[in-house]
Amino acid sequence: MSVEPLLLTLVFGPLVGATLAGLFGRRLGDLVSMSVTTGLLFLSCGLAWDVFCGFWAGHSHPVTVEILPFINVGDFHSAWSIRLDTLSAVMLIVVTTVSALVHLYSWGYMADDPSKPRFFAYLSLFTFAMLMLVTAADFMQLFFGWEGVGLASYLLIGFWFKKDSASSAAIKAFVVNRVGDFGFALGIMTVFWMFHTIRFAELFPLIAAKQNATWSFIGQDWSALDLAGFLLFIGAMGKSAQFFLHTWLPDAMEGPTPVSALIHAATMVTAGVYMVCLLSPLYEHAPVARSIITVIGAITALFAATVGLAQNDIKRVIAYSTCSQLGYMFFAAGVGAYQAAMFHLFTHAFFKALLFLGAGSVIHGMHHEQDMRKMGAVGKFLPITYAVMVIGTIAITGLGIPIKGMEIGFAGFFSKDTILGAAYAAGEHSPYGYFAFCIGVFAAGLTAYYSWRLIFMTFNGTAKWGEHADHGHDAHAHDDHAHAHDDHGHDHGHGAFKPHESPVVMLIPLFVLAAGAIAAGFVFAPSFVGEHREAFWQGAIFTAKSNEVLEKIESLPSWVGYLPLIVSVLGAVVAIYFYLLREGLAKRIADNDGPLHRFLYNKWYFDELYQAVFVNGAKALGDLFWKGGDQKIIDGLGPNGFAWLAGFAGRQLGRIQSGLVYHYAFVMLLGVAGLLSYALWAFAH
Amino acid sequence: MSVGLPAYLAVAAALFTIGVFGIFVNRRNIIVVLMSIELILLAVNINLVSFSMFLHDVVGQIFAMFVLTVAAAEAAVGLAILVTFFRNRGDIAVDHANMMKG
Amino acid sequence: MGLDSALTIAQPELLLAAAALGLLVVGAYSGRLAMTLVSWGAMLALGAAAVLAANGPLGQAFKGAFVSDGASVFAKVIIYAASGVAIFLGERWLVRAGNAKFEYPVLVLLAALGMGMMVSAGDLISLYIGIELQSLALYVLCAFQRDDARASEAGLKYFVLGALSSGLLLYGASLIYGFAGSTRFADIAGAVHGPASMGIVFGLVFLICGLAFKVSAAPFHMWTPDVYEGAPTPVTALLSAAPKVAAMVLFARVLAQAFPHDVPQWSQVVTAIALISVTVGALGGLVQKNLKRLLAYSSIANIGYALLGLASGSEAGLQAMLMFMVLYVIDVTGFFACLLALSRGGKPMETLPSLAGLVRLRPGLAIAITILSLSVLGLPPLSGFWAKFYVFKAAVSTPGMEPAAVYGLVMSVAAAFYYLRIIKTMWFDAPEGETDAPPLDARLVALGCAAFSFPLVIPALAVLDPLALAAAKAFGLA
Repeated sequence: MSVEPLLLTLVFGPLVGATLAGLFGRRLGDLVSMSVTTGLLFLSCGLAWDVFCGFWAGHSHPVTVEILPFINVGDFHSAWSIRLDTLSAVMLIVVTTVSALVHLYSWGYMADDPSKPRFFAYLSLFTFAMLMLVTAADFMQLFFGWEGVGLASYLLIGFWFKKDSASSAAIKAFVVNRVGDFGFALGIMTVFWMFHTIRFAELFPLIAAKQNATWSFIGQDWSALDLAGFLLFIGAMGKSAQFFLHTWLPDAMEGPTPVSALIHAATMVTAGVYMVCLLSPLYEHAPVARSIITVIGAITALFAATVGLAQNDIKRVIAYSTCSQLGYMFFAAGVGAYQAAMFHLFTHAFFKALLFLGAGSVIHGMHHEQDMRKMGAVGKFLPITYAVMVIGTIAITGLGIPIKGMEIGFAGFFSKDTILGAAYAAGEHSPYGYFAFCIGVFAAGLTAYYSWRLIFMTFNGTAKWGEHADHGHDAHAHDDHAHAHDDHGHDHGHGAFKPHESPVVMLIPLFVLAAGAIAAGFVFAPSFVGEHREAFWQGAIFTAKSNEVLEKIESLPSWVGYLPLIVSVLGAVVAIYFYLLREGLAKRIADNDGPLHRFLYNKWYFDELYQAVFVNGAKALGDLFWKGGDQKIIDGLGPNGFAWLAGFAGRQLGRIQSGLVYHYAFVMLLGVAGLLSYALWAFAH
Repeated sequence: MSVGLPAYLAVAAALFTIGVFGIFVNRRNIIVVLMSIELILLAVNINLVSFSMFLHDVVGQIFAMFVLTVAAAEAAVGLAILVTFFRNRGDIAVDHANMMKG
Repeated sequence: MGLDSALTIAQPELLLAAAALGLLVVGAYSGRLAMTLVSWGAMLALGAAAVLAANGPLGQAFKGAFVSDGASVFAKVIIYAASGVAIFLGERWLVRAGNAKFEYPVLVLLAALGMGMMVSAGDLISLYIGIELQSLALYVLCAFQRDDARASEAGLKYFVLGALSSGLLLYGASLIYGFAGSTRFADIAGAVHGPASMGIVFGLVFLICGLAFKVSAAPFHMWTPDVYEGAPTPVTALLSAAPKVAAMVLFARVLAQAFPHDVPQWSQVVTAIALISVTVGALGGLVQKNLKRLLAYSSIANIGYALLGLASGSEAGLQAMLMFMVLYVIDVTGFFACLLALSRGGKPMETLPSLAGLVRLRPGLAIAITILSLSVLGLPPLSGFWAKFYVFKAAVSTPGMEPAAVYGLVMSVAAAFYYLRIIKTMWFDAPEGETDAPPLDARLVALGCAAFSFPLVIPALAVLDPLALAAAKAFGLA
């Protein structure tokens, strides 16, 4: 059977759903819109698994289906197409599976929302854009998908647009991503400038020949491939919320929880990792760019983990954890273990989506309370959620027994240990490998601590929500979707405030994801990173001859395998001590508000830093980030930095614009005189 | 002895400069601005005609004719606009024509 | 070449001239119907002229003074279409404003005639005649609302400064004539070889200054915000579209055909103007609250980008300039159509705060403005992105222009703020009160232009790209 119609259905199914629900949602009614989008998504999901199994079993081969020509200008050729290889097949199942489950979950979570068709249309639109991104056969379509997911993310973060914090979070995400996209676009231009093509298939064979191409700037020669790789990585940093450009991700939690699970945990934020792996032929020849990726990834892993220690909003903890795990994936790619990065992306999608949806279930059950300090002892009321959350936590902390040849553990154990092993193995060639390994191990301990802290604060200990019977109302007012309609939906529950377990539609996705979080590791490890990897990837990931990190993992000393386990257990034990055995101790420390706690609680003062440093206008590059970090400029032209300067210049221009004709004539005359002098100079040379 | 081309050009340049200055030095009366514009066009015409003479090429004079014609139309349109301005504002001081600015 | 074939080449302009005079007579004798009759007659004439231009013969007439080639045809079709839209928008608007005078369409027709002349000019004399014909008609149009003090002030300012710029341009033309010995572009190109004489450089700079005024490039832009604000909105819509195209094409033609041996030199001068325009446009717009003024600054900045294309001094650069102008004209026409469609209590909504919460009052128009803003801002894959893409591609591939291109990009980021502010105001602020029902004509144009910006632009690019390339070839630069 021809593969084309199948692929077209797979990719364009969600678009059809989005169009129907988006344009005719009101006419079709809630139920029809929801069924159509969800149904099409499950269809896509089924097809994606079919395609993936072909690759897994080894009887499918890479293929590119061209659908329509897009742009043909000079050397610049681009076409809409579907590129299918192992790499995109992995992404296809991740995207469609999580998306289908999130669609289903939203039936329950969004049950009280008045604009369900819009929500489902956005979800499907996002899925379509993501599928376009992962199946792109050239940079143009990649960029289209890149912007498309950005747009959908913007729309979904700001879904409750009447809530101020949601709309400003949406703008923040949008603006910060523009900074990244700027680098990304420059990167694409650099690639086009060097190779005169943007199609991956034509581009990759050309790369090795250009290894020594240089580009002079400020009197020095720079490797052009490193430059291209670095610029493209800036794009990845924006999308995947890496250090410096991470500020939008925690704020993005203002969106509905299913959105956080789909976009800000499992799929969109991993697009950067996917791109780096896809461009492995380029990065294999760009050692400097890869070192930068390693360092940034490692720093992000550590930074986000430390911030996660001190956060109290259940979703923000998971958001920082996502940020940190993305850091792991990046440094894996940076040290050359692209397969390990993709494997972690794959397993992470399951357990992180599980954690988010579980958190959503808690929030739902707690009547939209997100502050963990006001939870506690919820486990009794939400036993199923409790159980799956524990599974997710075991998976993310990477508990498992690292005995050579008979490893046993949940999903995260396999992927995370491979990454750490690869980093250690890469350390033989470059110090960055050891750097990443040390940080990775340390961050694993922190991960265990904050993940278990989340579980204990939420599900165990004493109930803190009972003490204020009417508190639910308060929380409602400030933390809730701003639509008044919803308030009515819950008012009846307030008399007897009591957490409740979620409905079955919300629990089914949790079960499926829990199964994935348990099994995805040992089922797929041999194919992704183990002995079958050559046959599995079929060249979709390129590794240079000298790159043997995955081979070397086999022969590492066994303490490299045990160290992460020990550190994780240590982290878990500390969490047990603070939150189970000596409950209240942590709260006292927090209330003490020591400098370290304040530093972490305020996210290393990053938002403040972005404002303070660049107020002085010291660095032109910094200005760009700061603009991203602060939306005041868009709002009211804040009195600082670039905005102030631009506003000042604008006002001065306004002053010259006096309305008087003779002033205008005078400026014109000055212009003539200036141009005349300039022209005389220009013509003399 | 005949007067050389540079002399003509100098006169034209002087007239042009006077005309341009007339536009932004004068702050009282818009009629003066219109007169300054005429002066600029006059300078151009002197240029064109003298070049035409020295190049032995008649095109310059034809150009000058066009400029004269257009100048007449321009003056007519300018005065008409000035009249509507006066009817709305009651004066024609250059200083007062600044309702819109910034 | 005989007179017959010369007249055939000038067919579209002859038709417009005859139509303008004829419609003036028709208008004078048709009483109440005059406005409608003359308006539709004028639109018909513009349509016919566009068809004639597109299908007419190419060549030179009147010893090279009047040229019909790929570039002029390309520009004429846009100019006549944009003028037609201005009449369509203006007719109903003037009726609603109680000033339904049939001179409006006739004046637009005359301006269009002048613009047609400009893009076909192959000689300094026809250049001057074209510019003046266009400008005189536009001066009057700006002051068309006779009883509005702001409109007459706008007309007056435009007139005084326009006349000054014409004077500069003419002075430059006379110097070029004197030192090159001819007024025809081809002969000037033949005479100006090697290092240009002082007289030619002076003449060229004065000419460039005069043309820069017509395209409202900084530092000759000072009239733009005031005139845009004061002029009746349909006239502003016209001002910001068709005359800009005409003047840009004329600009390109003079530089490329009369001074083909001095490309590197004039390219530097044009780059300077372009960068000043981009800066002034980006910064000046930041503090504006009046939307028409804001659009004026936006147009200054955008002309800067178009000039950057011209400054590349290559075929690709000219193609970029032409593509930019087409896409920009459609965006800006859509913007003004939105302004025309919006009023509250009979008063036009022209300030930024008045747009607050528009998305809840007039979702269709708010979405149109959003699309147009995002497009002008340069968000892919909207039309404005492609416009900038062409320009920056041309600029980057010209040696020595890379810094200018980077600077232009940075400024476009700064300018993005005021477009984003419009969007933010419409989507997130609380509305002030109900708006009037938008008139159908303006709404149609607004939605049409927005639909073009996205998604129609994608297929349209495939059509426009080869046309613009053919037009750019006509300028004869490598």
